[in-house]
Amino acid sequence: MTSSATPSSLIEFRDVHKAFGAKRILQGLTMEVGRQEVFFIIGTSGVGKSVTIKHLIGLLRVDQGEIHFDGERIDNLSEKHFYPVRKRIGMVFQHATLFDSMSLRENVALPLRKHQGLGTKEALAKSDELLERVHMGNFAHSSPATLSDGMKKRAAIARTLAMEPQVVLFDEPTTGLDPVNARRIDRLIRELSDDLGVTSIVVSHDLPSIFGIADRITFIYQGKAYKSGTRQDFEQSGDPIVRQFISGNSHGPMETPGF
Amino acid sequence: MLGDVTISAIGRGTLFAWRELGGITILAGQVLRALLPPRLDGPELFRNLYRMGNRSLPIIALTAFFVGGIMVIQAGVLVKQLNAAGLVGWGAGYAIFREVGPMLIALMFSGRVGSNNTAELATMTVTEQLDGLRALAIDPIPYLVVPRVIAMTVSLLCLVVLGNLIALYGGAFFAMFLLDLEFSTLYYSLVDNIGWLDFVHGAIKAAVFGSAIAMTSCYFGISVRGGAVGVGKAVNAAVVAAAISIVTLDFLLTAVLP
Ligand SMILES: Nc1ncnc2c1ncn2[C@@H]1O[C@H](COP(=O)(O)OP(=O)(O)OP(=O)(O)O)[C@@H](O)[C@H]1O
Ligand SMILES: [Mg+2]
Repeated sequence: MTSSATPSSLIEFRDVHKAFGAKRILQGLTMEVGRQEVFFIIGTSGVGKSVTIKHLIGLLRVDQGEIHFDGERIDNLSEKHFYPVRKRIGMVFQHATLFDSMSLRENVALPLRKHQGLGTKEALAKSDELLERVHMGNFAHSSPATLSDGMKKRAAIARTLAMEPQVVLFDEPTTGLDPVNARRIDRLIRELSDDLGVTSIVVSHDLPSIFGIADRITFIYQGKAYKSGTRQDFEQSGDPIVRQFISGNSHGPMETPGF
Repeated sequence: MLGDVTISAIGRGTLFAWRELGGITILAGQVLRALLPPRLDGPELFRNLYRMGNRSLPIIALTAFFVGGIMVIQAGVLVKQLNAAGLVGWGAGYAIFREVGPMLIALMFSGRVGSNNTAELATMTVTEQLDGLRALAIDPIPYLVVPRVIAMTVSLLCLVVLGNLIALYGGAFFAMFLLDLEFSTLYYSLVDNIGWLDFVHGAIKAAVFGSAIAMTSCYFGISVRGGAVGVGKAVNAAVVAAAISIVTLDFLLTAVLP
């Protein structure tokens, strides 16, 4: 594996290690994400996909290795210096993380008020538009506590888009959604990249999503990028472990922790 | 003789207390830094002032009213024995303003507002809402903690001032009906003997207790670990820490303040 930075790569992980106590999660992860790419991270549950993307916004810190973003090394930034990075890299969490004390539209309006300098009224008007975009306009006034997981996730996507980030990290955006809404989210991610030039990193187990919209895919296995490539590379791969994952076979050579 | 087990338990407890105290000090430093120049969220501040201050009024008023009554009833026996009706207003006022008012209202406030605050922040932390804020490039200290510290300090100060007045009325009410004292006797006994200093003494205590409750409740809220069980433990630790802080600070302030 080479780690020479091609000029087109926007994000780069170089030999990243991360452990929680004795639990070693990332053990030399190296991967590159190109500009405006829709980049998928796949792998079994608990392998460290969420952990990987949290490093990009400084919610977790590497034990060893480097992370570069747009030509700048970011893994060693202080918490304070991570705030400018967070304005450019938005994240949709696996579990929505909407604020319970606010309605959906207030949730979405928060980054608009804080970062786009909008007044409360304008921010709320714009937040209604964004909620409409994820087909949640009818629930703008609801409290997150009263909504289903899939609905919360869509609202969380609207809130992240309000930041107008250059990169969006989607942690399982279609998990818990029905097929119709899942494909709508896929289309939204694709459009963000094609129309607005946004780079997306999508963590997912959702095969229709992966093979529907991914430009490139990295398969994480045993703490490393086991295989990276295009959709076609994965579809045609003869590697037994990759084949087992994408065919969802419970029997095979893949070792999963806990089994 | 202390057994090894006891000694190591004391050692662990001491280490734990020092670590938490260190954490609270660091948080206090971050809060101060966010205040110079002030960076905080207006809507959050008003929301918290309302729910922490206004919404606490009924319970504080009720407590204060009876506290006034208790002071007078306790004094009543001596008043009868020594025929010292002229001292009741002074005695009750002095005790309420300087000690009983700030202390009891602060403990009440800690139980109602502090514990609620810890539970809310701890729940937000374990459900990743705090990380969610950071991911939106919003620093949780100025956004969440600072408004709460200000709201709790201001609320407790106002509640103590109001509560003291209500306690005095409570005291007067029970003195008139249970001890058969004249309102004017009580009134002059109070205004002739109680000065601004007594009032300010209590007010300073109230503000200090308010910030202590705020710091402990926010600290245990945002440093929680381990899901729903952690939230329960955090609330518990916060209430205990707030009570200890109130009593210790009360002792220090009483010794230092005029
Ligand atoms: N803050 C943390 N402290 C301790 N352990 C953690 C922490 N965050 C994650 N882990 C552990 O790291 C491992 C990887 O977690 P992660 O959430 O990245 O999995 P994942 O690949 O996203 O799985 P899933 O598909 O189920 O979401 C898990 O064993 C998890 O318990
Ligand atoms: Mg995950």
